[in-house]
Amino acid sequence: MRTYILRRLLQIIPTVLMITLVVFLMMQSIPGDPVVSLLGDAYTEENAIRARQEYGLDKPIMVQYFIWLGKLVRGDWGASILSGRPVLQDVLVRLPVTLELIVLSMAVALAIAIPAAIIGALRQNTWADYTATSVAMVGVSVPEFFLGVLLLLVFSVGLGGLLPSSGWVYFPGTCQTVVCAASLWGNTQHVLMPAIALGVGRAALLTRLLRASMLEVIRTEYVTTARAKGLSERPVVLKHALKNALIPTVTVMGLQVGFLIGGAIVVETLFAMPGLGTFGIDAIIARDYQQVQGFALITAIAFVVINLIVDLTYTFLDPRIRYA
Amino acid sequence: MRARCPLPRLASALIALAGLLAVLPIAADGQAPKRGGTLRVAYGNDILGMDFYTTPGYEMVWVATNVGCGLVSITPDGKFIPDAAESWQISPDGLLYTFKLRKNVLFHDGTKVDAAAVKFTFDFVLDPANRSNMRQFLGAVHSVEVVDPSTVEIRLKQPYAFMMHVLAVYRMGMIIISPTATQKYSPEERRAGKPEALVGCGPFKLVEWVKGTHLVMDRFDKYFEPGLPYLDRVVIRTIKDPVTQLAAFKAGEIDFIADFSADHVDTLRAQNPRALVMTGKETTPMVAMMKVTMPADGKPMSKDRAPHAIFSDIRVRKAVACYGMDRKEIVKIAYKGQATPWLGIIPPGTMDTVDVNHMCPYDPAKAKTLLAEAGYGPQKPLTFELMTNTEKSVFNVIATVIKEQMARIGVTANIRLVDKPSWMTTATLDGVFDMYVEDLASLLTVDQNSYLSASSAAWNHSRHTDTRIDDFYARYAREMDPAKRKAIARELQEYSADKLYWNTISGSPFYQAAQPWMKDYVYQAEFKVSYKKVWLDR
Repeated sequence: MRTYILRRLLQIIPTVLMITLVVFLMMQSIPGDPVVSLLGDAYTEENAIRARQEYGLDKPIMVQYFIWLGKLVRGDWGASILSGRPVLQDVLVRLPVTLELIVLSMAVALAIAIPAAIIGALRQNTWADYTATSVAMVGVSVPEFFLGVLLLLVFSVGLGGLLPSSGWVYFPGTCQTVVCAASLWGNTQHVLMPAIALGVGRAALLTRLLRASMLEVIRTEYVTTARAKGLSERPVVLKHALKNALIPTVTVMGLQVGFLIGGAIVVETLFAMPGLGTFGIDAIIARDYQQVQGFALITAIAFVVINLIVDLTYTFLDPRIRYA
Repeated sequence: MRARCPLPRLASALIALAGLLAVLPIAADGQAPKRGGTLRVAYGNDILGMDFYTTPGYEMVWVATNVGCGLVSITPDGKFIPDAAESWQISPDGLLYTFKLRKNVLFHDGTKVDAAAVKFTFDFVLDPANRSNMRQFLGAVHSVEVVDPSTVEIRLKQPYAFMMHVLAVYRMGMIIISPTATQKYSPEERRAGKPEALVGCGPFKLVEWVKGTHLVMDRFDKYFEPGLPYLDRVVIRTIKDPVTQLAAFKAGEIDFIADFSADHVDTLRAQNPRALVMTGKETTPMVAMMKVTMPADGKPMSKDRAPHAIFSDIRVRKAVACYGMDRKEIVKIAYKGQATPWLGIIPPGTMDTVDVNHMCPYDPAKAKTLLAEAGYGPQKPLTFELMTNTEKSVFNVIATVIKEQMARIGVTANIRLVDKPSWMTTATLDGVFDMYVEDLASLLTVDQNSYLSASSAAWNHSRHTDTRIDDFYARYAREMDPAKRKAIARELQEYSADKLYWNTISGSPFYQAAQPWMKDYVYQAEFKVSYKKVWLDR
């Protein structure tokens, strides 16, 4: 097991390098010059030449990439071309916000998906099943930004500011800025609507997937055996059926992390949250190459690590699975 | 004994009250300002960086005007008022400006604002190595000399009618920077918003800036104007989505929106009847800029110019942008009528502006005739590319209306939607385009537009080569008689409308919104956003 984990961790390095290289080349190939954004109305050819030299943008693309890589090896993620702020510092400020959003939106998704899928599977072709399936279909069809705006209008505007419309209060212990609000209640209030907006779409997908798996599992012989042994329905469903049905769901959950990061961009922008999603999209829009690299690096690492965790979860769900 | 005292006691109480009232500032509505509280501000765009003199964008300027102080400031009606300088004199020939500094002005690091600091600031800005965006405005400056610690002289090479405007308000004005902090910290530290590196002499000192998250400024207790500012703290957050801005404002989570989208003004007013929605005559032009020349050798920015294939022909420019564009219809659709249809190179709210709309009445028949004269018609239809960008939704609405109006005169406008950096790069680096829709910089004076539209300007996006435009600007800037200056401005605007190197469609409206409890904020469009006298009545 340890060897397997180590091997998987080592695999992160080429994967992440590949991703950052592709992102770097793509950013360089799209139109838009960061120096023009940097100089604004002070743009002159003289100033532009000076700025390009200063930021190494006059060097060949691959040289620029290897300079970035060289700094990365030394723990330096570079500095934003526009703001001059160290990328790693900004990533660390924003990471807890997005991590919390992703974890909670997945929790929202599971909290909806598991009961809905169980009910749908156990009461197949009844009104309960149809309701669960229909709701799942609606959930898949509603984009995050639309649901987000609806939530905003209902809970922030309609109900007299029941929940805050924007901004962030940090989970205690996660704030890294000088001036910041941190409280459990405040954090819950701020994360609730974004987590629901991001989680509902995932819930719908997982409901459909889990229901299908459950339908398959509850017809297997070991579930019939468990029932024949006289076990009550509750342990049969939760311990025997659900646990096995979760394997494909967990796989999809791991793959969904990428979509969640994409969705986080929309949700964070809508709720004006200081997370990695807004950090990434702002960097791409501004052609801030260093910042884009930082975003690509952290999301690639997060994606690979989460999928490693997913793979390890299989051993818990199905003890027959062994990694050597 | 005691019974005989009431009158003298009452008299002394009244005298004390009168004294107190004389000392306490009274707000316009008769209320005495309250001290304390945190002002919560929403910006629609990120602050890109924090270096006063190199970071582009109004968002940083609106911070700089609160953290920094200059020699002079300006009122909404254009009157110059003292800031760090208590008085000034301008020599009769207009070449020597002498400023007497207040003696009690301190930087946030405790060092004194004196004549040496003023000279240091000018030297810093004028040094090309510092890439200052204010340098372009100081072309007339010959030298800056320290006379004594509280007197500084600025000598000009030639008279410049807008020197005071440069000092007070061009971009953010000449913010005086601390020599100690500037020498100690690097440009990167300033740009990154390190509070110790950004030392000003304004009413608020920077506490923290986290890009895309928040900016916090606290009251500077040793600010030179006694009792000011009233607020303890200003917190600025970026809320990009106008729907979220509206929700946050409605819920009372923010007190002030510094830049509000024109599309949502009606909704904001309906949802918040007591809110103060502020606007004024537009000072920013919304343009449909046409490219007039191209690099002859194919190298962008080349001095060797060739005519643009379509818009170098004045007949085509006039057909498309003069008689073929219905500015009233554009404003009606894109701005629900809440902007001024405008043709002149200088926006409707800018000093010395002239209404030249009569020079281009909407006349599709005349447009078709001109196109025919230029060789275009059913046999050879004119097609051009209309570039627009994603920064504001109104750009795309305007582009769509133009496309429709072009179809009416038999012209095809193909819309190309790009993001803002792509537009900026294409337009600024002499890239390939036919026409673009954008709103450009806010202009207080005609002179300011020379930096965007003179033939030698880096931002001369049409790349016209007509030096008569430059002559107009030069004459205008040198002319010290306001009446004569006005006449030159009229000439320039009529000439420009005739040549259409610069094609304005309308003014671009600017809105700010404040909660009813935010008191004594003075609207000065994009030019100044100052919280110095603001107080909260919650």
